Amino acid sequence: MMTYIVFILSVIFVVSFVGFSSKPSPIYGGLVLIVSGGVGCGIIVNFGGSFLGLMVFLIYLGGMLVVFGYTTAMATEQYPEVWVSNTTVMGVFLLGLLMEVMLVLYVLKSEEVGVVFKFSGVGDWAIYDTGDSGVFSEEIMGVAALYSYGAWVVIVTGWSLLVGVLVILEVTRGD
Amino acid sequence: MNPLIFTTILMTVLLGTMIVMMSSHWLMIWIGFEMNLLAIIPILMKKYNPRTMEASTKYFLTQATASMLLMMAIIINLMHSGQWTIMKVFNPTASIIMTSALAMKLGLTPFHFWVPEVTQGISLTSGLILLTWQKLAPMSILYQISPSINLNILLTMAVLSILVGGWGGLNQTQLRKIMAYSSIAHMGWMTAVLAYNPTLTMLNMLIYIMMTLTMFMLFIHSSSTTTLSLSHTWNKTPLTTTLILITLLSMGGLPPLSGFMPKWMIIQELTKNSSIILPTLMAIMALLNLYFYMRLTYSTSLTMFPSTNNMKMKWQFETKRITLLPPLIVMSSLLLPLTPMLSILD
Repeated sequence: MMTYIVFILSVIFVVSFVGFSSKPSPIYGGLVLIVSGGVGCGIIVNFGGSFLGLMVFLIYLGGMLVVFGYTTAMATEQYPEVWVSNTTVMGVFLLGLLMEVMLVLYVLKSEEVGVVFKFSGVGDWAIYDTGDSGVFSEEIMGVAALYSYGAWVVIVTGWSLLVGVLVILEVTRGD
Repeated sequence: MNPLIFTTILMTVLLGTMIVMMSSHWLMIWIGFEMNLLAIIPILMKKYNPRTMEASTKYFLTQATASMLLMMAIIINLMHSGQWTIMKVFNPTASIIMTSALAMKLGLTPFHFWVPEVTQGISLTSGLILLTWQKLAPMSILYQISPSINLNILLTMAVLSILVGGWGGLNQTQLRKIMAYSSIAHMGWMTAVLAYNPTLTMLNMLIYIMMTLTMFMLFIHSSSTTTLSLSHTWNKTPLTTTLILITLLSMGGLPPLSGFMPKWMIIQELTKNSSIILPTLMAIMALLNLYFYMRLTYSTSLTMFPSTNNMKMKWQFETKRITLLPPLIVMSSLLLPLTPMLSILD
């Protein structure tokens, strides 16, 4: 199973995305977002990026999602929608699950899958080696490069975050 | 809105478009689009009524979907070419997805439905920024990927846009919706020639921005958003009626005025590439555009539109001073003799 762990985690990722895009109440959407965030972190860790994976857990799940959960809890309604409460939501959820199951069976059975780009069955999803040079870890060098050669990206993203805060304050301020 | 915050947000809109136009890495381009979208939302929502909020939400949803499609095309391109530099797109699927994403951002048919609704729901100044500045960034990307765009899709979208822009504007009396449909039609003209000679796309964009700026500023000057209130400008500032006449006929593409230049060049370039039916169709459908521009000029400057007697004695505090208006009017009507100068756009 460990050779196919990335494939399994990816399937769980897609299933939880189907879970919140079938639009239950935001509380339940946040619940499957936690699952998908954790699983996404697992995928990154399996590719050798332990730092980035833990960063996702800490900042995304532990910071943003907690704030999202609290604000949604403040704004929740009396009877929130679950996946089985509304026919439409359940229908969309089951449809998404069905498509995912069919895709998984297609990938498992056939030798070569060519949807938009070709990959050969499940074999391409298994990680045999992390692909780095063995001297240093690739993802830490990526983070280092972000702060040295990629200074412009840091400036742009920092500015975007600042302007994001200003925009949100303007939009919710009202008159 | 607090002037300092308003300035910051406006500068971020400019910065977003600048980042899109000057980046060589696909990810930075996507970041530029998102920054542009994020910062223009409060500008669209300057007045807090449900109309503007609905328009901003519609704009945000369509543009965010387009950004997601753009990101998907970027990743497919990465998978097939292994590099992030902007040049032609290496995979036909990625090219089609990217063309659709940029068409959604521009408001080309069949993704044009948001343009009239969003333009109508916001104030005139915000509509001005929406229809002129926001077209620069997607058009610059289309220019850069133009060697690899699927010609069938591009030309279909262009011809349908000209048709929809002309036909849809026929039943409108609200000026912002008329400008929105005019924008759809002009985007159609711009993308029709993109695969043949992208310089003409840039020329058309330049002339279109000048004319649209002029029109919007004339509307802001007379504070009019409907045909009826525009028809009262003879009472407030009689000179602007003539200027509205000239600028509208220029937008319609009539010969001695600047608006004729891009249409002429585009038709010439298309016929040089041995397509005759296409420019004929485009020229015929531009007549629909001309019809509703002429209807506006008829009610504004050529006749005294019927109205109640108290509307004939309008009174306003002071004339708005729009500094850029006179040069823009001159440029949007008298630039035709400068046509050989378009070689500087290369």
